[in-house]
Amino acid sequence: MTVQELIKIMGLTPLSTFEDREVKGVFISDMVSDVMTAAKSGNLWLTIQTHKSIVSTANLADVSAVVITGGKKVPQETIDIASKYNIALLSSPLPTYTLAIKLHELGIEAE
Amino acid sequence: MPNIISLQTIKETLNAQIIVADSGLDDMIEHVYASDLMSDLLAFGKPNSILLTGLATKQAVISAHMAEFKGVVFVRGKLPKDNADKYARDKKIVLLSTQFDMYESCVRIYAAMSPGVLPTSATIEEQPPEHTLLSQDFHIQGRDFSNAGNVSTEIKEILKKIGIDSQISRRVAISTYEGELNVIMHANQGTARLIVSPTAIEVIIKDQGPGIPDIEMAMQEGFTTASEEMRAMGFGSGMGLPNINKNTDELRIESKINDGTTVYMKFNIEK
Amino acid sequence: MSDCQHHWVMTNVKYGFVIFEKCYHCKELRTYFTEDDSLLLGDEYREGEHFYNRLESAQSFTFDLICTRCNRLETFNDLIGLFYCTSCMPNCQVEKLQQQYAPHKTWIMVAFGVLPDAKKNPIPQAKLDILSDYFNQRRDTTRSRIKIVSFELIADLARCKGGFIHDVGLLTKEGPSEERKPLF
Repeated sequence: MTVQELIKIMGLTPLSTFEDREVKGVFISDMVSDVMTAAKSGNLWLTIQTHKSIVSTANLADVSAVVITGGKKVPQETIDIASKYNIALLSSPLPTYTLAIKLHELGIEAE
Repeated sequence: MPNIISLQTIKETLNAQIIVADSGLDDMIEHVYASDLMSDLLAFGKPNSILLTGLATKQAVISAHMAEFKGVVFVRGKLPKDNADKYARDKKIVLLSTQFDMYESCVRIYAAMSPGVLPTSATIEEQPPEHTLLSQDFHIQGRDFSNAGNVSTEIKEILKKIGIDSQISRRVAISTYEGELNVIMHANQGTARLIVSPTAIEVIIKDQGPGIPDIEMAMQEGFTTASEEMRAMGFGSGMGLPNINKNTDELRIESKINDGTTVYMKFNIEK
Repeated sequence: MSDCQHHWVMTNVKYGFVIFEKCYHCKELRTYFTEDDSLLLGDEYREGEHFYNRLESAQSFTFDLICTRCNRLETFNDLIGLFYCTSCMPNCQVEKLQQQYAPHKTWIMVAFGVLPDAKKNPIPQAKLDILSDYFNQRRDTTRSRIKIVSFELIADLARCKGGFIHDVGLLTKEGPSEERKPLF
């Protein structure tokens, strides 16, 4: 499944401009150090962090997209940097746990 | 009916290692939080929850305790740092560690949380609140970040002892914690007064700090006057006053520039 | 052992703070990493001939890399954080590299080291390459690559508005960050 397909199915809101790519597995963390240590290339990263640090982290860990959960407001600065680096920054009103369950039901397994 | 799962089942389904479980694993869990941002817990967490987190520090356990959670699971095989386990033991919070990552842990708990699983025991016995009046003062030392949370924890313990409903004491603890942090960040010292009457709990926090120039602005989420250092430490979210507002039945703030700020909070005890 | 096609993973991750200090007398800038948060609120202090004044601090984290195949441990004591460029100075070497590499889908990230030591002993190129390898080996490099460069390329540290990648607000929420003032 690609990021664009996921946006349609899960009703996610895209915030940045990005290049579509395949989603492989899910990684949940609000600690950028954990993402850098353990997330895998292509993972969908779920977080409530909105600081611009997440864009560099997403870039370094090569995740397929970052989903900001809980409907948290994302600073414009973070969105701008994400667009600059072609990082898919998405938003969901659901809390992390609930979104994780829905992704599981959709058949996306941990990688 | 909400889905409910026991701590024992969570332990089994996550193949978790027990770090602290002095109080047993019989408690039932109604909600699951997957987060490493502790303020979110304080703002939105519901009691009888379990926290899944990669933050294996005392902060995680303190926040879980404030939010009235039953347990904390460290994911990705993390083990407690900075005496987090000691704190959990003191506060009777169950501490587990699992090799699974956060996503896998969520999925496994969800799968195990079938609606067929019913609580084995009835809900916690309600003790009638004692109709005694209580008034006690606490000192808050400004700039002393290492002791942040001491006063709110102490107040929470007192309310628990005298049988105040845990939902209310939780709101009191969260609001007091935010108020306490404001004093620590901005003033050299301050006091917190706790007054308990049969119908309400009041907490009055006073400081001799710089005062708040624009209270209305300070009430907006995201507004902060904390310095770069404080924010580097994670303080000064600009969530303080809005968070208090959310948790109190009555909130009054009086502030004079260069004189100080008084935050008056009231929590009604429902019959 | 050099035939090993290293497969690096992060180890010894430490959370803490980068502290920037400047000596009143000799004007020398020094940077270091500490896990001790009490240092953030400290006053200026004397150390030998120097009289240090704390200018700035930032959350950061440090780590080492270990090869899962040959167990070789590569320590990064001279790295106090990974730093991202915000394109704040057009004449900065980091920004120029960004411009140059962007069409090739290679992103520049800065390894921040210890001052003043790095002036005499810069972070070795071999170490920067290992860092780049670590990030590239786990990504889909047909899409994009990472290139880690040294912080010595930053044109003017005092005016740089780049930031350390760090775990933000683990204690509470952080408001939108303000523009950083020049260091000195």
